[in-house]
Amino acid sequence: MSSLGTGIYFDGVTGARHEVAVDLAPVALRILSTAGEVLTEWPYTEIERLSAPTEVLRLGRKGSDVLARLDIRDAKLMAEIGDHSSAVDPGAVSEGRERLRVVGWSLAAVASLVVLGVFGVPLLASRITPLIPISVERHLGEAVDEQMRSMLDKDHAGMRFKCGGADGEAAGQAAFDKLVRRLEAGAALGLPLRAAVVRRAEANAITLPGGRIYVFQGLINKADTPDELAAVIAHEIGHVSHRDGTRTALESAGLSLLFGMLLGDFTGGGAVVIAAKMMLESAYSREVEASADAYGVSLMSRIGGNPRALGVVLARIGGATEPAMNILLDHPETKARVAAINAMAGPAAGATLLDAAEWTAVKGICSGK
Amino acid sequence: MSVPEVPSRSPSIGAAGGTDAIARFTGGGSDYFRLLVRGNVLVAVTLGIYRFWLSNDMRRFLWSNTEIGGESLEYTGRGIELFLGFLIGIAVLLPLYVVFAVVPLMIPGFKEEGASSLLFLLLLLLGQFAIYRARRYRLTRTVFRGVRLHQTGSAWGYAFRSAGWWILIFWTLGLAYPWAEANLERYKMRNTFYGDLPGHFAGTGSALFTRGIVLWLIVVGPILAILLVAPFANWSAVDAALSTQKVTHTNIAGVISVAAVMWVVIAALALYPAFQALTMRWWLAGIRFGKIEVASSLRTAEVYRIWLRFLVYAVLLGVAAAVVSSVLLGAIIGSMSGLGSISTITVSGPATPHIPLLAQVAGTGIALLVYVTVVLCYSVLYQLVVKLALWRAAVSSLDVANFQMIELVKAEGQQSSPFGEGLADALNVGSF
Repeated sequence: MSSLGTGIYFDGVTGARHEVAVDLAPVALRILSTAGEVLTEWPYTEIERLSAPTEVLRLGRKGSDVLARLDIRDAKLMAEIGDHSSAVDPGAVSEGRERLRVVGWSLAAVASLVVLGVFGVPLLASRITPLIPISVERHLGEAVDEQMRSMLDKDHAGMRFKCGGADGEAAGQAAFDKLVRRLEAGAALGLPLRAAVVRRAEANAITLPGGRIYVFQGLINKADTPDELAAVIAHEIGHVSHRDGTRTALESAGLSLLFGMLLGDFTGGGAVVIAAKMMLESAYSREVEASADAYGVSLMSRIGGNPRALGVVLARIGGATEPAMNILLDHPETKARVAAINAMAGPAAGATLLDAAEWTAVKGICSGK
Repeated sequence: MSVPEVPSRSPSIGAAGGTDAIARFTGGGSDYFRLLVRGNVLVAVTLGIYRFWLSNDMRRFLWSNTEIGGESLEYTGRGIELFLGFLIGIAVLLPLYVVFAVVPLMIPGFKEEGASSLLFLLLLLLGQFAIYRARRYRLTRTVFRGVRLHQTGSAWGYAFRSAGWWILIFWTLGLAYPWAEANLERYKMRNTFYGDLPGHFAGTGSALFTRGIVLWLIVVGPILAILLVAPFANWSAVDAALSTQKVTHTNIAGVISVAAVMWVVIAALALYPAFQALTMRWWLAGIRFGKIEVASSLRTAEVYRIWLRFLVYAVLLGVAAAVVSSVLLGAIIGSMSGLGSISTITVSGPATPHIPLLAQVAGTGIALLVYVTVVLCYSVLYQLVVKLALWRAAVSSLDVANFQMIELVKAEGQQSSPFGEGLADALNVGSF
């Protein structure tokens, strides 16, 4: 049985439009000129449906370099062709199936990239970090320092951003330097330490790549004894010794690649990327902080300070030693940290790292007079 | 050349003996809306990976519903091609980024600014290169009446030409724009072929300039006038006149500069639809394939209507989003506060009320979800109310003269690689 209908045919050789008759033979669709001459025959297995307006069925030949096209607007003929060839697929079932497959594979790719972000990036960063020469790390530190200074120095104090420069602050600076030198001697680092106190109200201290440590004025105010201040600096020296600044920079670059270049490139995706980065970075930082705590405790014991001082000062300031760590790093976390520090710490040797006069001077290092 | 509008759909005999054809857009807004909503949900779920398949679906819809002389265009591209193109683009860009990040650290005394401005220039060039190659991909995936389009010419040639023009546009405060557009469009169109029929571009820079200069003067003029007058004004006389008041000429200059900047922003926004209408009309009317000529009757008022409709919908969507998100967040915080007594184990007893960790995480997650949803709603709104409507208006405005020539065109050209598309996507310069 064969049936006849009409269509518009383009032979793929010229742009000429042919009004044709369409004959549905048992194994092939035959396209005939209005004079009844057979123009071409398409086996049903080689037919494919192509993109067209909804009311048009547009057919072509699968895998053919010649872009011959048959447009059919006759609903009855459309249905009959659908009976002969599954490729015509009037309900677009295969299209929906392909969409599902794409979404499935995409989700698998996202899952694998997230696993890479959680485990692969920190592992890779800690393997690469020791291979980076100190000179490169110092160079990196200078670039970070410039950025950090412009971010932290909100009042544009410039040179005055660092404490200890005024006449009345000189004694404090000398005492602070003495404390730092004592810690540095105990630490035996491979690079010179550059520590300074800066005018920021938060009780915090940060370490940049290349051995630079900034102690915030807020911490000096909150610390009750020289050992508490020394313990925080010892913790920061732990970051210097472990080269955490460089590692963090590498991790951050890795995450930017994963979540900035490969994923999240869609309208509104920016916020998702930032949130994912912050979550992962704060997850990385817990381990990093714990090992810096351990380093700080052991350094304090080595130089004869009170190894428990870090726990005391941490508990007082509520745990926020690192900026951008506040998400997920809540108070229970601080309690666990303090417990871990106390478990590691032996008894205090009882030596004083600074005498009462020197400590008073340090407390006034940012007096501005 | 202007051609009177032909009311009938079927080809008719034009004044010069050739056949005129009109174009129309047959796609319904509700179909496109469904396509966009489904696609954007999948894009969000796959963290952006689905975007290649969404773009492909959008192009298929726009192409296949564009009808010229009774026959519709066909888009033969595939989502997977765009995805692979993107991976190749990343493979090219990644080493470049790494080199520019690492080399300044290795060379002592090397200025970071030097490296970043070099990278900027390189990316500007690469972006233009990608635009040209992406155009080639799109053209070779466009089939009309069984014949595909294709593009020749050098993408690097285009990139240098285009980058040079953009630098000139920057330094002439936009005055070079008409000539840049005309020159670049001529380059693109004389390398564009429909089968064996060569394209060219008939629009001129001076024609675009004379139509657009009024807009430019309204936007930039006041600032220019201020800059020209200021050095010659008698400021001491101004101060003397103001001596009884508590202001000096510096106060007045400050007020004038703020007002001038506000003027530029407001005037640019208000005149943008007019600018868009005249550049589109100029561009469409310049398109030629052999003897086939295009004219456009796109009306400026139509483009204004489209943008105003978007403005109204955008405000309504903003209000709806604000109401829904505040109700939702209020409900979350309300339900979470009951858990507060369990997880507040404090070390130091903070003075401020403590929000439990679980509520913080849940709140952040929900805020993120609401934000992404709202932004995607705006994206759908823009695609539907602005982009689709502009496409429809542009297509319906077309009148094609000497359309009978299309019957004689011979098929030519091959599909090209999607590398340019991928690079354009990775550099965020793609227009789709």
